[in-house]
Parts: sequence; C-alpha cells; structure tokens
Amino acid sequence: MGKYTVHLRYYTGDPLEEIGQEDLDRIGRAHGVEVSFERIDNRTLSDGMLREETLDKAIEEITQDVITVSAEDEGRFRKAIVAIYQKYRSPRTPYSFWGSSQDGERIAKAVADATGGGW
Amino acid sequence: MKILGLVGSYRRNGNSEILAKEALMGAEEAGAEVELLSLTDYRIEACQGFGLCLFRKEGCHIEDDVKLVWSKIDEADGILLSVPCYFLESTAVLKQLIDRAWVLAHRGTFRGKYASVMVPYATRGWIPYVMLQPNIFFGILGLRVIHRAAFNVQGLGEAVHDEEAIEKAHRIGKELACAVLDQDSTYRSEPGLCPICQDWTIRILKDRKAVECPTCGIRGELKVKDGTIEVVFDERAMAEYRFHPEVGYNHFTYHIKPSRDYFLRTKEERKAKRKRYKDYLREEG
Repeated sequence: MGKYTVHLRYYTGDPLEEIGQEDLDRIGRAHGVEVSFERIDNRTLSDGMLREETLDKAIEEITQDVITVSAEDEGRFRKAIVAIYQKYRSPRTPYSFWGSSQDGERIAKAVADATGGGW
Repeated sequence: MKILGLVGSYRRNGNSEILAKEALMGAEEAGAEVELLSLTDYRIEACQGFGLCLFRKEGCHIEDDVKLVWSKIDEADGILLSVPCYFLESTAVLKQLIDRAWVLAHRGTFRGKYASVMVPYATRGWIPYVMLQPNIFFGILGLRVIHRAAFNVQGLGEAVHDEEAIEKAHRIGKELACAVLDQDSTYRSEPGLCPICQDWTIRILKDRKAVECPTCGIRGELKVKDGTIEVVFDERAMAEYRFHPEVGYNHFTYHIKPSRDYFLRTKEERKAKRKRYKDYLREEG
C-alpha cells in the first residue's frame, strides 16, 4: 500500500458506465499507480428485479464496485483519480471513501469537489 | 374521474387562482369532477430532516395538514398546479411541500397520475427557474405532465384581461381531463431542451465538456449547428433520469439506507466533535 490509498466505492447506478478492469489497468499504467478492482454483488432476483436490503448491512458488504488506487507520489495519485472520475464520475456519498487512508480520502474528495462531483 | 387544482398563492382570486379555476372549468366541461385546494390555507410545516419517514410505514411524524394534501392527490386522477413566480422561481409553499414529499418518492404512491402546470409571472426574463419546483414536485410524485405554461400577467387578477390566457387555461384543464380519460400522456406544450422535464435550464459541468439537465440529472453534449445551440443527450442517461423508479430505488437502497451503518460507525467521534458547537451562541435558559 502506498502513502496515498483510496477506496472509491461505486454503488448500483453510480458509475456513468460499467467499470472495466482493462480501463483501470490502462489508467494505472498511464499514471504509474497501483489500481485494483473488486466487484461485490449481493442482489437477488425478486419479481424479475434485482433487489437488496441494505439498511442493516455494513458499508463494505452491500453491492458495489470498489476501485482501490494506491501511490507514493501525490501528483500521480491525483491525476489517476482525475482520470477515473473523467471516465466514471466521482463516487456519490460521504461513505464512498470508507477505509481509505486519510491523505488518500482528502485528495479524492478534493478532486471530486474541484470537478463539481458531476462527472 | 377527478381533477384536483392546487394553488400556490396567498392571493384570493388572484391570477393563480383565476387560471386554476378557469382550467378546472375546462376539466369539468370534459366530464371531470373537480376540486380546488389553496395550499396556503393549510399548515405545511418544514421538513425536519429526521429521515425516519423513509423507514416508517406510517411515514412522516409531523402532525400538520400535509397528509390531507396527499389524500386529496390520492383521490384525484389529474393534478392541475397553478403557482406564481415571485422571485425567479415558484413560491415557497411548493418547496415546503417538495421537501415533505420525499417520503413518497420511493413508494411511488401516486405514480402514473397526470398533471399540468400553470405559472403566472410579472416580468419577462425574471422566471428562469420557475418550472424547477413544479418539475421536481411532479418528478418526485411520478406524475405524467402534459402541459407546462407561463402567463405574463402582473397586477392582481390581471389574467381576466387576457382572453388568450383565459382560453389557454381553459384548454389546459380540458386537455388534462381528456388525457386522463384517454390515458394519453402525450406532451402538449412547447417542448423544451430537456426531453424529460422540458425545461430550458442547462448546467455546464466543471469539466466544461458535458452539460446536464439539473433537474433530471441527464447529461449530454452542447453543439452549435448553423449558429443554433443544440443539446444532444446521452441515451443511457435519458433512460436513467433522476426520477425514474429504478433510480429512486437505487438512491434509497445505496445512498440513504447504508448511511445508518456510516452514522453508527462515526457516532462517537461525531458526538465528541459536536460538543464544540452545542452551546455556542445559544441563549441561556
């Protein structure tokens, strides 16, 4: 784990497009940072719709795509976050960064604010 | 078949009420039973932001007249909203009702009913956000809006001088009733830029590449063709506009419900840090 580590938690409907490992690998290579990806899916079919009860679940356990970015260099880290937001937009909620390092979360939130959080 | 008129103005027999009544006369002509509520006659308290209403079967805990307003909407097949523009946007009573409507957003209680909006306003160019609140209100409730119209009338009850306005209001009411009867949600007013809410307000995102309808949350690209500005909206975004039932479900399931776990995890730290503010500038006693 680098000095700057962030977990970007995208819940159902949050990313602009489906998050893909190849795209993340490309971003990681382009900016010289470590990028990993985990998909958690706990939805079940109910009347033909994918449904999930989340009220009593832990933030990490509910359905989500987690992109983890890690780097030692702040500049590289920041640029990688920008690239991820450009592609998928920023995560939506305050708990979308849960588990990140303090500096990683600070930068990821600052980039989201600087870009309007609307990507 | 019933059409309910909602008036968002304090003024008795003012422009909003006149236009609403004329529209209801039109609806009656088409065979509708009609009723009028002046929202300002009722006690509509501010939302207290507890969020418990979202989880309680009985909904909001505030004992005021909002439940009555919802029951009247529930009884109706079509809603005719007449709300004036005071300062760039609708009057506060509508915003107050919007905040209280969140409890209904994910339940879809009124989804599929029909609606029309009429806005009397005084000065051209001073109404940029006037359809914002009606669009949010009907978006939350999941109503199918078939007319949105603004009427340039200034003085108290001036609408009566404007025969075209009166005729238009009458037609809007009649067409609302017909839409209910025919189950025809075709949009009848002039189309706007946004294909969902038909508004003309567009937000430029900070990347300066994309634009979006701030109400519906659908993004697109701004293009200039032969000197004319066009917005080309993204097909996927349009299918996932903010008030789509599935988007509402996701918002409730993934943005609201998990906040309980987040709250519990951060509760002690939050409690300790909030002490700093608890008594600051509070009057004693």
